[in-house]
Amino acid sequence: MHRKLSLILFVAVLISCFTVNVVAQNQAERFKRANAFYQDKDYVSARSLYEAILKDGYESAALYYNLGNTAYKSGDLGYAVLYYYRGTRLDPTDLDLRNNLEFVSSLSQVQMEGVELNPVRSFFEDIVGSYSLSSLAWLTSAFFILFILVLIARIGFSLNNSAIRVSTVFALLLCLVVAGLTTFKYQTDYLRRRAVIVADECSVLSGPSEKADVEFDGAPGLLVEIIETNGDYVNVLFANKRTGWLKKEIVAVI
Amino acid sequence: MPVEGRIYSIVVILLLLVLCTTVYGGSNDPISVVVSLDHDEISMDEAVLLSVVVSGGDQNLPRPHMPNLPMFEVYSQGQSSNISIVNGKVSASVNYRYLLMPTRPGKFPIQDIAVVYNNHRYVGNTVEISVRKSGAVPTQKKKTGVVDDTETGKPYYLEAVVDKKNPYVNEQVTLTLKFYIAVRYHRNPELTEPTTTGFWTELLGNKAPYRERVNGRTYRVIERKYALFPTQTGELTIGRATIRVAVDSKRKNYRDPFGMFGDMFDTGKEVSVRSLPVKVNVRPLPKEGRPADFTGTIGDFKISARVDKREVELNQPVTVTIKITGVGHVKAAAEPDIPDQDDFRIYRASSSENISKAQDRIGGTKIYEEVFIPKRPGTLTIPAINYTFFNPAEEKYKRVATRPIRINVTKPDGWTGSEEIPFTQSEVRISSDSRDIRYIKESPGDLVPMGEVILTSPLYIIVNGIPLFALMATILICKRQAKLSSDQSGARARKAGKMARKRLSSARALAKVSTASEYFAELHLTLTSYIADKLDMSPHGLTIDLITDLLSQRQAPESLIEEVASTLQRCDFARFASASVNQEDIDNALETVTELMIKLEGTKLA
Repeated sequence: MHRKLSLILFVAVLISCFTVNVVAQNQAERFKRANAFYQDKDYVSARSLYEAILKDGYESAALYYNLGNTAYKSGDLGYAVLYYYRGTRLDPTDLDLRNNLEFVSSLSQVQMEGVELNPVRSFFEDIVGSYSLSSLAWLTSAFFILFILVLIARIGFSLNNSAIRVSTVFALLLCLVVAGLTTFKYQTDYLRRRAVIVADECSVLSGPSEKADVEFDGAPGLLVEIIETNGDYVNVLFANKRTGWLKKEIVAVI
Repeated sequence: MPVEGRIYSIVVILLLLVLCTTVYGGSNDPISVVVSLDHDEISMDEAVLLSVVVSGGDQNLPRPHMPNLPMFEVYSQGQSSNISIVNGKVSASVNYRYLLMPTRPGKFPIQDIAVVYNNHRYVGNTVEISVRKSGAVPTQKKKTGVVDDTETGKPYYLEAVVDKKNPYVNEQVTLTLKFYIAVRYHRNPELTEPTTTGFWTELLGNKAPYRERVNGRTYRVIERKYALFPTQTGELTIGRATIRVAVDSKRKNYRDPFGMFGDMFDTGKEVSVRSLPVKVNVRPLPKEGRPADFTGTIGDFKISARVDKREVELNQPVTVTIKITGVGHVKAAAEPDIPDQDDFRIYRASSSENISKAQDRIGGTKIYEEVFIPKRPGTLTIPAINYTFFNPAEEKYKRVATRPIRINVTKPDGWTGSEEIPFTQSEVRISSDSRDIRYIKESPGDLVPMGEVILTSPLYIIVNGIPLFALMATILICKRQAKLSSDQSGARARKAGKMARKRLSSARALAKVSTASEYFAELHLTLTSYIADKLDMSPHGLTIDLITDLLSQRQAPESLIEEVASTLQRCDFARFASASVNQEDIDNALETVTELMIKLEGTKLA
C-alpha cells in the first residue's frame, strides 16, 4: 500500500516537473522568435508574441523589458512606461530597465513639476528601491529563522549565556526591521493601485462625468495613483499631488 | 436724522429719478443706422472697411443684419460702443466694423443693412463701392486724403511671388511676400499669413526693410519668405495674404505752422491690402532612370559615415554614425537602407536632425546612429552605405555612398572559438548616456506565474512555518519535561513499565533450571517493584496480602488481584522449592508475569 502510494507520488512529481519544463521551453522559444522579429524591426509581430507569453500567465522582468522596448519603438509611449514599471517591480536591480524607464519617462509631454515629496516615505523608498519584494521577503525569513534557532537554543538546550542573549536581541531587531521594510515594499508595489496613462489624449476632469470640466491635460506615460473608482471613471492622484478624474480606459494598472 | 442718512436718501432719490427718466426717454427715441466706407474705390488686391453705426436712446441696441454680399469676402473686425447721459437723456451708439475683400471687379451698391427694434425695421443708407482690376488706375482721386500720387503708382500694395511655377513634388518653392509702402504708416503692419494647403511650410524669415524704386516712386519694402514643399502633384494654389496697416489720414500741410501738432495726435487710418493668389503646377518625379532603391528623398545630399572605435572586442558594440547633409526637405529625407550583414548584428540606436536655412534654402543634416555588433573576430568591413535621391536642379536621380570602414575585432579572454556557444552576455548595453533605450534581452529570465506574490506562495509559508513549528515543539517538550520533573509519583508510575522490562530481561538470563531460585526471586521482585512503582510505594515490605489490599482499594478487577496474588505465591513457592521446578515451569512463569504486567499497564488504578 505504502509502496503504491510512493510510486504514484513519484510519477506525479516527475510528470509535473516535465510539464513545467516543456512549458518553460515553449515560452523561451516564443521569446526568441519575438526577439528575431524585433531585430527585423517588425515591432508589431514582436509585441504580439511577447504579449502571448503574458496571456499564458507568465511574466518576468526581461519579458516586460522587451515589451517596453517594442512599445517604445511602435511609438506607444504610455505602454512602454507601463511595461518598464512592471519590470522594475519584479527586478528593481536591473539597470537596463531603470535606464529605459528613465529615458522613456523623460519623453512624456507633461512633466509634473513642483512635486512635494513626503521625506519619510522617500527615505524608505530609497532604501527598498534597489531590492525586489522576493529579496526582502527571503531576507526576513533568514533573520526569522536565525531568531527562532537562537530561541530554540535558549529554551530547548538551556543555553543562556550573554552571547546567546545578545544574538537573540540582534536577530529579533534585524527580523523586525527587514519585516517592516518588506511590508512597506509590499504596500508600495502591490497594495497601492499605481497606474500609468496609456491613452494618447487624456483630459483630467473635475468629476466622474462627461459633463465635468476639464481641469488640465495629462499625457501618456504619466504615473498616477488610483484613489477611488466610480462607474467608468477613476479618481487619480498625480505625482504633484493634483487629483482628477479619468476614464478607466485611459489608465492601465501596473 | 444723521447727516449720512440724509445724503444716502438724496442719492437714492436721484438714482431713481435718473432711472425713471432713462426708461421713459429711452423708449421713445428712434434708432438710426449709418453705413459708411473708408474708401469708395479700391482695386482687386485691396480691401475696404465697412462701418455700421447703430445709435439710439437705449443701451441695448440691436445688432445689424448684414445682407448677402457675394462679391465680397466679409470678415468681422469687432465693435466699439459709446454711451452718454446728457440732462438725464441716454444716447448710445455701437460701431460694427467689417472688412470687405472683393472677389470680382465692378460697381457694387451695399444696401439693406438693417436693425429690428420694437417691431420696427430701421434700414441704413446705401453706399456704393467701385472695384477696379488689379493694377488699374483709379478713375478719380480718393476722398480720404491719403497720399496717393496716382500718376506715379499706388501708395501701398502687397505682392506674392514664387521662384518656381512648375516644381517637382517635394521640391522647395520659395514664396516671397513683399509689402510696398510709399506713405508714412503708424504701428507695425499686421499680417494674415497666406493659406498653403498642399504644402509643407517652413518660414524662412523676414528681410530687413529696404527701399526700392518702382515706376518712379520710392517704396519702403518689407519682405517675408517661406519655403514651401508641395506634398502632392497637380495645380496647387497659395492663398492670399493680407496686411492691415494704419497710414496717414491727412495730406501734410507744410505751410501750416501748427501742422506738426496735428501730426502728433494723428493715429492714422487703417487700410488693408492683400496679395493675389498664386498658382503652381506640381510635377511628379520622372519615372525614367528611377533606381529600385529610391525612397522619395528630394534635394542634393552628401553622405558620410564614421565609427567610434576601430578596434573592438567580439560582441561589443561599435557605433556607426551616418551623416546625411545637403539641401532639401531634410525632415522628409529617408533613412539609409543598410542590408543585413553576415559579420554584424545591426541595431538602430538613435537619430537626430538639424535644419538650416542658409540663402533661403532649407537644408541641414540628418544623423543616424547604428550599432554594429561583430559576430566573429578578425578584420571586418562595414560596407559602403548607398543613399539615393532625386536632384531637381539637375533633374536626375543620383546615388551617393559612404566609404567602407575596416575594424579590427579581437577575441576576448575565454572565447571558445565556437559559434555554437555564444560568448556574449545576455544583455548588450548600447547607450551610455540615456539618449535612447537599451537593447532587448536575449533570454526571458525566470518566468513566473503572473500575479504571484512571494509572501503568499506555499514555499514561503512552509519555509517560515517549519521553524515556528520547531519552536512550538521545543516549548512543548520542555514544558512536558518540567512537568514530569515536578511530579515524582507520576514519573515513577510512568517509568514502572520500563524498569520492569529491564528486570524481566535480567530474569530471562537466569531462566534455567540451575538458577531457578534466583530466577523466581527476580520475577517476584519484578512484579512487586512494578506494583510498588505504580502505587508509589516502597517495594520493601510489600507482602501478598498487602498488595491484594492495596489493589482492592484502587478498585482493580478481582480476577486481576487473584491472578497477581497466585503468581506471587507460585514465585515464592518456586524460590524455596526449586528442586521441583522444571524448564517448562520457568518459561510459563516468565510468560505469565509478562502478560500480567501488560494487564496491569492497561488497568487504571485510582
